[in-house]
Formats: sequence, C-alpha cells, structure tokens
Amino acid sequence: MTIVPAGQLRLSRRRFSALAALAPLAAAMPVGGRIAMAQDSLVCTMVTDTVGLGDQNFNDLANNGGTDAARDFGITWRVVESQDASAYVPNLVAGAEQGDLTVAVGALLTDALAEVAPQFPDDWFLLIDSVVDQPNVQSVTFREQESAFLVGVAAGMFTKTGTIGIVGGMRIPPVIRYEVGFKAGVLAVRPDANFSIAYADSFTDPAKGKELAVAQFNQGADIVLPIAGLTGVGCYEAVKERNRLGEEWVIGADVTQDHLAPGFELCVARKGVDVAVYEGCRQLAEGTFEGGIHDLGLKESGVDFQDPNDRVPEEIKGYVRAYKQMILDGALVVPTTDEEFETFSQNLPPLATPIAAEATPAATPGA
Amino acid sequence: MGDFFTVELLTAVLRTATPLLFAALGGLLSERSGVMNIALEGFMLLGAFTAVAGTYYLHDPFLGLLCGALAAAAGAAIHAVWCISLRADQIVAGIALNLLGAGIPIFLMQRLWEQAGRTPSVEKLPMIASGVSILVPVAFLLVPVVWYLLERTKPGLRIQAAGEHPQAAESVGIRVSGYRYACVIASGVLAGIGGAFLSIGDLSLFTRDMTQGRGFIALAAVIFGNWNPLGTLAATLLFAGAQAFQVQAQAAGVGISADLLLALPYLLTLIAITGLVRHSRPPAGLGRHPTVD
Repeated sequence: MTIVPAGQLRLSRRRFSALAALAPLAAAMPVGGRIAMAQDSLVCTMVTDTVGLGDQNFNDLANNGGTDAARDFGITWRVVESQDASAYVPNLVAGAEQGDLTVAVGALLTDALAEVAPQFPDDWFLLIDSVVDQPNVQSVTFREQESAFLVGVAAGMFTKTGTIGIVGGMRIPPVIRYEVGFKAGVLAVRPDANFSIAYADSFTDPAKGKELAVAQFNQGADIVLPIAGLTGVGCYEAVKERNRLGEEWVIGADVTQDHLAPGFELCVARKGVDVAVYEGCRQLAEGTFEGGIHDLGLKESGVDFQDPNDRVPEEIKGYVRAYKQMILDGALVVPTTDEEFETFSQNLPPLATPIAAEATPAATPGA
Repeated sequence: MGDFFTVELLTAVLRTATPLLFAALGGLLSERSGVMNIALEGFMLLGAFTAVAGTYYLHDPFLGLLCGALAAAAGAAIHAVWCISLRADQIVAGIALNLLGAGIPIFLMQRLWEQAGRTPSVEKLPMIASGVSILVPVAFLLVPVVWYLLERTKPGLRIQAAGEHPQAAESVGIRVSGYRYACVIASGVLAGIGGAFLSIGDLSLFTRDMTQGRGFIALAAVIFGNWNPLGTLAATLLFAGAQAFQVQAQAAGVGISADLLLALPYLLTLIAITGLVRHSRPPAGLGRHPTVD
C-alpha cells in the first residue's frame, strides 16, 4: 500500500517541479493566453478524477454547475481531465497557474490538492467530497444521510414485500452514511421492514453488482438501493433484465440513472455537486469566496429527495415532506454511524403527520 | 436454509463460472503449448470493450461478439510475436498486454463517446433461460472439446509435445512455433469471448476495468486444475461456487460477517491450493524455446 503512492508522489513532484520551472517562462511570454484571459474574465478550471466527464455522476454534475455559473456570472469555465492518478498534481498546478479558481472534483484528488494548495497561496481551490485544511481551499462535504433518509421513507412506505436491498461498493464513511440514513428512513415508517445488505468490495464490478441485486430480488426484495459507483450500474442491469416493471425497483444515489433501466427508478437521493460548484463560482464572481469547510445537507439544498419521473404516490410524498421538515427543524437527527443507527432503531420516532403539497412549496421535489 | 440452495443459486454459479471458464480454457491451450500467459485479463478487457463497440456500430450482438473475439485475438497475436518470434520475457510481455488491455478501452471510450467511465447500453446476446445467456452452455461444451483436441487428436498431441519438450518436438519435424502461435491466438479468442460474455452476455455495457481480476482467477484455475481441461473445469466451478455462495449468503443475511463472506472465495482457494498444488505439474517446456540460444 505504501510503495505505490510514494512512487506516484515522487513522479508527481518531479513533474511538478518541471512545470514550476517553466512557469516564469510562460508568464514572461508577451502573448500568453493566461494574461489575455485574466483581463477578460475570471477563469475557473475543473480537474476531474480519473473517471472523467461522462460518468453521469460526480464529474458531469460538477461540469453542469460550472457551465451554469459561467453563463450566469460571465466567468470562463474550463475542464481538464485526468487520465490517471499521476496527472492530478500537474493538472491542479496548471489550473492554479492559468486561472483564479481550481475545482478538484472528488475525494481521489485530496492528497494531490494537499500538496499543490500551499504552493499557490494566492489562488483559490474548491474541493468536492473531501477536506483539505488550507486557508485557500474551500472543502465541500455532503450530509448524504439526510437525502438517504428521505428516499428510505419513500421506500419503506412503497415496498409491498417489506424487504429492501442495499448494494454497497465498499463500507467507507460516505457509503456508511448512505446506508444507515436509508435504513433509518425505512424503519421510521415501517419498523418491521427487512433489509438485505450486500457489499461487492469494489466500485467498478458491475457484473458482481448485478449478481448481488439479483440475489436480493430473489430473496423477496422489491426495492434495491445501489451505493456502489459503477458496480451499481449492475443493479440497474438486474432490474432491467428481470423486467418486472411496477413490481421491482431501484433507487438512484447522487443522480438519476433511469436511462440505464427506463421506468425502474423509483426516486433519487440527490447530491448537489453541481450546486456546490455553482456556489463556489458565484462566490468567486462576487469576491466572497473563502477557504473553510462547508457541510451541505437538506438545509443548504446540498442534498435532496427527488422524484424526477413522478413515480412516488402523492400520499407518500406527504410523509417525505413531513420528515424533511423535521430534519430541517432539527427535530430529527439522522444517524451517520452504525452506533447511532443502533440507538435510533431502538427508539424510533412516532410516525410523522404527512404534509400536503400546498403547505410547503419549498419542499417540492426536483427543485 | 430450505430455500437457500435454489435453482437461482445454480444459475448464479453457471453465470459466474462462464467468463472464468472461457479465459481458463484459452490460458490452458496457450500454456500447454509452452507459452506462459498472464495476459488473459488484458485479452478479456479488449474482448469486452470491442464487443460493445462492435454491437454499437453494427447493431448486432453476434457481430459484436465476433469483433470482441477478433480484437482479443489481435492482442494475443502481439503476445505471440513477442514471446515466440522475438523471445521476449513472457511475463513482461503479459504485463504489457494487461496494461494495454486496460488502457486502450479507456482511450477509445473517450474518443468515441467522450466519456472514459462507461459505454452506452447496447443490445445483449440472447438468453436461453431466465438469467442464462446463450454463451453459458457454449463455455461448458468447450471443456470436452478442448479435452478431445488435446488428448485424442494429432494436432493436440503435437501441442503437448511443443509444450513438454520443444527441442525434441522440433527435432522430429513438428513446427513448434506454428502450434504455439495457433494456441496463443486461440487463447486470445477464448478470453475475448469470456470478456464479451461480461459486457454483452451478462450486462449490456462496458465499464472500465470491469473484469476485476477474473483473468487472473482463470489463470489460477488452470494451475489449480493441473493444466487439464477437466481439472480446470472443477477449479472454475469451485471459484464460481464460492463467489455465488458468498453473494447469496450476503443477500439472505445468514448472520455471518460480510467481511468473512467476501474473503471466502480467496480462503477456499488458499485451502485448496495448499492441499492440492504440490501435485501440480506444469508443462515441462513452459517458457522454453525450441532451439538453444
């Protein structure tokens, strides 16, 4: 484990110093694009992780947020893709040298950013889904458990069999937050629900994800929540192949992937990576950008319950609104760890009173 | 436990075994002819990706399957040139091809669809039963075919001669290089079909690194099966059975720690190898050339 990162680090340092040596040269060049652009508008550069654009998840969401911000605030938005992990440092360096804000998308860039950020104290960095404690870095993390709780409420109300599947990638903190938040939401409305929980031990094994989902459906689950990256694609494949439309469902994590199995996605626990990037660009344009740690939940619209295809019945949505209000009011604290979940499941809160759609327009999903 | 050992568990074992079996039979042919083949993983990835790309552009999964097999065969041909004609180190050549097999699909996905993570969904190969692709019986039928080829036909015995004692084979007029080329390319075709089973037989798309070490498990099955088609089949079924059991046990919530269940296939492998591998005997001419340098 230690040998490989060390090797990468050495390589990246070498590349970094090569780039750093070239930097004054580039700055001295009279018609450098850097100077021309600095006069025109603020430049934001997004550095992807190795999955890159087209992942229909993280990277695409961040790009959407940046593109919208570019349109609304007249900044220049650029994307640099990282083909492999050794490209993180040079890409971040390039972003910092040629622009005003560099957006590092995903926890995979954490170490690279921790190395680069101190070298450019006058540039701003935005890191998604992880924390680097530097004065010029704004770190954005999400309270995934809150949106997971709300889709859990919907699933608990919606399930006919009372058995719900969860397919995880690896049991790392963001996945655990999703899992326990979801389970808590289900139990809050259906205390007798059964869970079928399975881990693939990989985020890139869709064939295994499919096997796990198939086994869960065979065990009587009628809703499966994948929290597993590309492994989760296999869960959509499973529900599509079984083709029991209206009987077996999947729930989207982070963003809708209904196109993978059209008609089978019940609802989505939305993660606002785009919102975070948009906000960062807005703050930059308004001169209010600052370092620090931002923890985004329902309150900040960082995460939300979403029903893009209107498949959740209205009476269930009433309960979702009620629990959302309770979380917003602080009346309900969603567990984030196994210990907190244990405590939660032993003292389940009483069933909430549903809130009608007119009462809180702000709670309308898909906002 | 009454409804634990179900027909679904059986089909899961068959599905899990299929890509391993294709790749393992390919690896077996290559190794029996005397060429080490650790590049099965790379061939599988090439086959899996090209099968999806072929299906996407030709609108027919069978043509896609053909494309996948051909692409992996091309990769295997490179391995053959390096290992047989140029006498490169066979392990190093295999590592290079594994890296190529992982990298080329990512590069091409970026070019073709501007996304490096996964391809669009395409049409799948037909199913012969619920959850059983048409490639599943093909894989199992190949086992007696390969056994018959190696043990009962003239070319098969010559392949064995090339693998056991290349100098002796050469001295009696057997074209060792020719048989080795054929076997290595056949290993590419079979591993490519194994990869294509994952992408257009089981799933309907390619994702980066989707083989997840199945090529190496296939190679382990060859060694564990003592370079014999029937032994390899048994080893493949053991690995696939452990994997499918692990999946089923997790989903059923049998109260065993998930970590232990995830480790189960590897634990079983360890136990089996420590118990059995001392009897294994690789082809004597594995990695050796027909003429002395």
